[in-house]
Amino acid sequence: MESILSVKNLQVVFSGFKALKGVDLEVGDREIVTIIGPNGAGKSTLLDAIVSKSPVAAGNVYFQGKDITNKNPYDIARMGIGRKFQNPNVYNELTVFENILLALKGTHGILNSITAKLTKTKKDKIIDVLDRIGLLGDAGTIVSSLSHGQKQWVEIGMVIAQDPSVVLLDEPTAGMTPEETHATGEIIKTLARDHTVVAIEHDMEFVKQIAERIIVLHQGAKLAEGSVEEIQSNPKVVEVYLGREKIDDAA
Amino acid sequence: MAQSTIGIATRSRTPTKLGIVTAISFLVMAILPFVVGSFQISLLSKLLLFGALAISLDLVWGFTGILSFAHGVFFTLGGYAMAYYLKLNLSAENNTYGGSLPDFMVWNGLTELPWFIAPLKYFPIAAIAMVLVPAAFAYLIGWFIFRSKVSGVYITIITLAISSALTTFFISQQAYTGGTNGITDVSKLSIFGINIPPNGLYWIILLFTTFVLVGSWWLTQSNFGLILRSIKENEKRISYLGYDVASFKIFIWTLSAGIAGIAGGLFVPLNRFISPVYLAVAFGTQVVIWVAIGGRGTLIGPLVAAILLGQIQNSAERVTQDWQLVVGVLLLIVVLFIPDGLVGTVQKLFVRKQKPVSTKQPAISSN
Repeated sequence: MESILSVKNLQVVFSGFKALKGVDLEVGDREIVTIIGPNGAGKSTLLDAIVSKSPVAAGNVYFQGKDITNKNPYDIARMGIGRKFQNPNVYNELTVFENILLALKGTHGILNSITAKLTKTKKDKIIDVLDRIGLLGDAGTIVSSLSHGQKQWVEIGMVIAQDPSVVLLDEPTAGMTPEETHATGEIIKTLARDHTVVAIEHDMEFVKQIAERIIVLHQGAKLAEGSVEEIQSNPKVVEVYLGREKIDDAA
Repeated sequence: MAQSTIGIATRSRTPTKLGIVTAISFLVMAILPFVVGSFQISLLSKLLLFGALAISLDLVWGFTGILSFAHGVFFTLGGYAMAYYLKLNLSAENNTYGGSLPDFMVWNGLTELPWFIAPLKYFPIAAIAMVLVPAAFAYLIGWFIFRSKVSGVYITIITLAISSALTTFFISQQAYTGGTNGITDVSKLSIFGINIPPNGLYWIILLFTTFVLVGSWWLTQSNFGLILRSIKENEKRISYLGYDVASFKIFIWTLSAGIAGIAGGLFVPLNRFISPVYLAVAFGTQVVIWVAIGGRGTLIGPLVAAILLGQIQNSAERVTQDWQLVVGVLLLIVVLFIPDGLVGTVQKLFVRKQKPVSTKQPAISSN
């Protein structure tokens, strides 16, 4: 399969500490890849390095064959990589509608933003996104008054509105109830029909629900890679999740 | 059902109650010269300009979150452009030394008008310089600080440094700037041979300030305004949505400096002089106080505060020389008890209460 996102020998160093020690990652078009690993394994750092949130010390990131290593975050976003952060990173002072409107795919220039009108097409698109994340009734609500789980959805909605080729999700279900987690899994599955998804997750039920391929990171390096069954029976992986019978309890 | 919900969510550019209030205020203020005396008109002209200056700061501070003490600098740069125009158009009999060279240049031994000041004798060039010099200066500073990703309090410190440095520079370049005294004894405003009377100047200023207010409101109601407010809340996040944050900051910073420059330019024919006093941090701080007391991000608030405080100062000055004590106490009250400012607080009281969070289990459609 042709890779849409390709990470080669990626290294990230934080004041002497090697957070990533040369990670390789190939993601195929419209694939769902899940990254798991204990705390401090470098999962978030890997996503941060892809979108230039953390500087890459060595190695390269390729997107659709183009080298995007250490490019401007907004250029990477415009090329088609969307990111959802670990803690919901949404605009608390704005309404749900405005959050989605900001994220909406399109030109992001100054003059365009001054003259742009809220067209029917845009409105319909936003309504569609709000419907998908189940917040249609809360379009006019200021985000700060939403629950934690709803904020997570708002940010997932922002990524959907952005309509990137590759979606990077950092713990999309953190702080959610089992029902909410399941609902999120369904959103992500529909998202994966026309997007490539790379998600960090702790919840193994959730991983089983969505994952096609799992990558296990440990201490800044790739430990294992494979299907859910392969990972669960991999002795090295079980070893890492110390003293635990199964990695089901890894969270 | 969905349509009605969406209606609440979007900001509209159609006139609201606030627009009607603004229109009525404008009309009332426009007929004031027939009602009140010339002293009050002159005072109001000045306060309207201070109001426009405060609105320009509100765009960068209230909306975008960049606290600047340098807005007095942009104001004053525009002021000097106009001051050179008025000084160079003094008739020979009004000039102390009879010639075409301004008095302070003669005192400082200049024999010839410097080439970079000479073109300002012509109104169109002076008018362009009044906007362009502060805007270009702001663009230059903005390019360096916003592209180099300086943020927060460090930007504020840089603006303080700029204000101090320029004050010192203008004082030191006495032959070109008139030093501490600045440019004094300027001619009355006359454009293309037409003399502008004080009431005419007042109407020009009223129009200008109204335009700045309405224009800023229009600008901030757009997606652009939404982006500014997002930058204020979390500038990192919005860059991951594909927005070049630095270019938005540079744009609003430069625009704001241009507005401040015009205000400064219109201030000189009224004030009849410009000096480094308006470059100094003390004046820059006054602008910050107007915005803080009026209410950040409200546009009308800083304008109201500038006019109100000016009137208070005018009354207090007759009673005591320590009027600044009054302003100081007011500022403390605002900062401690009404952080949203006067207008910000009133707006919050009148805005409909947010609807409560829905507690129902959100329905997720799976397709």
